[in-house]
Amino acid sequence: MGSALGKKRAMGRIANDFVINVATANGTGSQSSNLIILHSMFEMGVPVSGKNLFPSNISGLPTWFIIRASDRGYQAPGDSTNIQVVMNKDTWAEDIEKLEPGTVVVFNEDVRLPVDREDCVALGMPMTKMARGVAPKLARLMCNMYYVGALAHLLEIEEGAINKAVASQFKGKEKAIELNIQAISEGRAYAKENWDFESQFCVEAREKDPATYLIEGNEATALGAIYGGINMLSWYPITPSSSLAESIIGWIPELRSDDSGGSTCAVIQAEDELAAAGMVIGAGWAGGRGMTCTSGPGISLMSEFIGLSYFAEVPGVIWDVNRVGPSTGLPTRTQQGDLTLLYEASHGDTQHIVLIPGTVDECFEYGWKAFDYAERFQTMVFGFSDLDLGMNRWETAGFQYPDSPMDRGKVIRTQEEMDSIENYGRYRDVDGDGIPYRTLPGSGLDPILYRGTGHDEDGVYSENPQVYHDAMARLRVKIDGARSQLPPPVIREEEDKEVGVIFYGSMENTIVEIDDILEETGLSVSTCRVRALPLHPEIEEFINRHEKTIVLEINRDGQMYGILRREVPAELVPKMHSVAYSDGMPPRARVYAEKILEVLNEVDA
Amino acid sequence: MTVLKLNVLELEKSEYTGGKSSLCPGCGHDQISNVIIQSAWENGIPPEGIAKMSGIGCSSKTPAYFLGKSHGFNTVHGRMPSVTTGANMVNKDLSFIAVSGDGDTASIGIGQFVHAIRRNLDMVYIIENNGVYGLTKGQYSATVEKGSKKKKGSTNQQAPIDLCAMAINLGCSFVARSFSGSKKQLTALIRAAMSHRGMAVIDVISPCVTFANNDESYRSYNYVKDNDEVLHILDYIPHFSPLEEVEVPEGEFGEISLFDGSTLRIETVGSDHDHTDAVSALTAIHKAEKGERHVTGLLYYDPEVPTATDSLNLSETPLVGLSEEMMRPSEDSLKGVNDRFRT
Repeated sequence: MGSALGKKRAMGRIANDFVINVATANGTGSQSSNLIILHSMFEMGVPVSGKNLFPSNISGLPTWFIIRASDRGYQAPGDSTNIQVVMNKDTWAEDIEKLEPGTVVVFNEDVRLPVDREDCVALGMPMTKMARGVAPKLARLMCNMYYVGALAHLLEIEEGAINKAVASQFKGKEKAIELNIQAISEGRAYAKENWDFESQFCVEAREKDPATYLIEGNEATALGAIYGGINMLSWYPITPSSSLAESIIGWIPELRSDDSGGSTCAVIQAEDELAAAGMVIGAGWAGGRGMTCTSGPGISLMSEFIGLSYFAEVPGVIWDVNRVGPSTGLPTRTQQGDLTLLYEASHGDTQHIVLIPGTVDECFEYGWKAFDYAERFQTMVFGFSDLDLGMNRWETAGFQYPDSPMDRGKVIRTQEEMDSIENYGRYRDVDGDGIPYRTLPGSGLDPILYRGTGHDEDGVYSENPQVYHDAMARLRVKIDGARSQLPPPVIREEEDKEVGVIFYGSMENTIVEIDDILEETGLSVSTCRVRALPLHPEIEEFINRHEKTIVLEINRDGQMYGILRREVPAELVPKMHSVAYSDGMPPRARVYAEKILEVLNEVDA
Repeated sequence: MTVLKLNVLELEKSEYTGGKSSLCPGCGHDQISNVIIQSAWENGIPPEGIAKMSGIGCSSKTPAYFLGKSHGFNTVHGRMPSVTTGANMVNKDLSFIAVSGDGDTASIGIGQFVHAIRRNLDMVYIIENNGVYGLTKGQYSATVEKGSKKKKGSTNQQAPIDLCAMAINLGCSFVARSFSGSKKQLTALIRAAMSHRGMAVIDVISPCVTFANNDESYRSYNYVKDNDEVLHILDYIPHFSPLEEVEVPEGEFGEISLFDGSTLRIETVGSDHDHTDAVSALTAIHKAEKGERHVTGLLYYDPEVPTATDSLNLSETPLVGLSEEMMRPSEDSLKGVNDRFRT
């Protein structure tokens, strides 16, 4: 059936601007194949991104991998699929039905299902049969390498790039490298011999910056934590944060062992997220750098402890790799739905520092900086990532070594230091910055009983109204003081200050394309990427300078918009308009661009 | 001239006392606080080396009333073990002395209690167990015996959770039960627990004088005094003064060598309890429960269990004492990491 359709010939070549969608079943090893395609294109210097849309399941449920090549550097999933690989019988019909006319369909003939689309180009290959020839027992896994070969042929991916990607994927496993390269070569040869079809799309080598590589956000954060001097990692497994913890665990032996091989970072797999948060607070209280990582459900559970950290002023770091809520939600899909939760976690009046990376470089940077902020401000500091940034691979030119020594904050370590402070009290603000000094257990210096109950400036239990009021006022001064010390927003401003777009986090990877789509309609927008909460003063100025501001985010309720509404002066509020949308998928540029235009139209009407 | 009594560190007992208690007069918890003060002083533990830990409840307030020269953390309800775990990971040299209640340990924090035991966290875990929630005005807790009745309200119909039996089943390295009114036994047990390395659970029956000290309560002073099934007589002999006055028992006795070199001498009182045998310990607990009595003494002891930090191969130096060079890998190492991803 493939041959009849396969005679169609494509018009004009399009280099480095296409979307491949690979439909497979979870647990069939297709991730390796997909990453080989991704990395081989990256090797050729082609700007490429990959999105893994996987189910909450170990094996058998459908999974899709979207690869986008784009000379313009677009990293969002494109609007439509140009090449569809179908391997999974369960989603076969649906995968094929939704394709746009002209799509190239590469399929495994051995699944024995039809490709009933006269308007598409169907290219079949007996992948399972061929895989059996190479590795009879591994045919189920190996057959995925044949579509790599097929795509390599169609897109003209260089053999050298493929071989390098395979070697990197199966590091050191010579037999696996050999078998997989054989399978890919066979796939390429079969396509060449049997398919009378030339693809419109191709990969064209670009000059590759040899410094660049692809890495998942979670691994970048993990390395940041390692270089931030993490002393204790407590964690409870939860998608999509588990790989962050596992990456730290993986790097400890090499990077965090002392001369005798002893570890300088303790790792505890906790009994639940509550315990993980308690351990972070225990470590911070004792003077160490404690951290945990989790996702929304974990933050909900940790909330009581987060309030203790805020009120008793104990440093700690929690990374939230956001997945789709509420409740268990869509555990393997992405969202920016936890922002408000993090900012105000726990009962009573609280406010927390939240660092919001938008790139893997920032994941690394905030990975180490989070500890400095936590110890400087003696409070819980959140890193806010999401599944898209955390579990997909993004480009970096290599991480930069920390440019400042560790900031251990206001810790009194000797009697001399203690004597130099007039009127010391654990919770007394002697410098006017809202940050008191502290002493550590084991030091013998002015010990107190830390507590989550009301306490006076000396840390003694108190229910006195004035004492409580003043303590809460000081905490506000302390956290407000962080605003200008946290990462400032990244602002790119048009001369014409008509529309400004405020966004944050992983939306960074879609904003360029959104901007281009808006530009096509004649709309030039300035952009302002928020990188931390509480808000930096420059954000308010950005809003002030623009006639209209769109607050763009991946959630239903416009959580950043809500925070801005409350925190900017009332006269600026009418200038701001929320564009918030979330369906669990990584943001597609056109969806958000159209929503921005809709909102602006409504405003103008 | 006044002669001061000093401990082995030449410190007065006042160096180990705390603030004034705000608990009800006669509360068993205050007696336990006094024993903690006495034990830490007599054992000669430097006050600055101690970390006092607690959760929430009447019992968890008491760290304010003892060891005023030590840092402490009155954490959240039932979650003291996790905070202690984090602190222990980064500073294994601290001596953790924790108090908790039956609400903390047997209800809201039972999961953390279980896992702290499972890890054999190096701490003394004292449960001040009165069978009621005091601060919220006397509701039953999960440890109260079936058939026991507090001052007001109906008789408890639910089966109790026996925290010692649970600890033994979890392989806890030191499990004891005592009574706040048995000062000598409790002192020997707490001193021994302080000399132990690993999790030492001491479940102390501590009558609530306000809500459950009536005779129908199985945890009233009178009831416990009349129904105390004492396993053995205990004497603690500190490592620094092996010749300290100890009554040498006439009958059979055994000795336990504790981690710091101190000794716990055990004189058997008519029973054939074997503290190295979990089955024997569980039998003693179940027999007592059946007879509506409380068994007290050292129920179970196993010095061979590795502690939480032992099994992690941590740096010799407590992690809080590491220099920045030890905590932040070199710039060269990051170049190596980057290069590895590039190939």
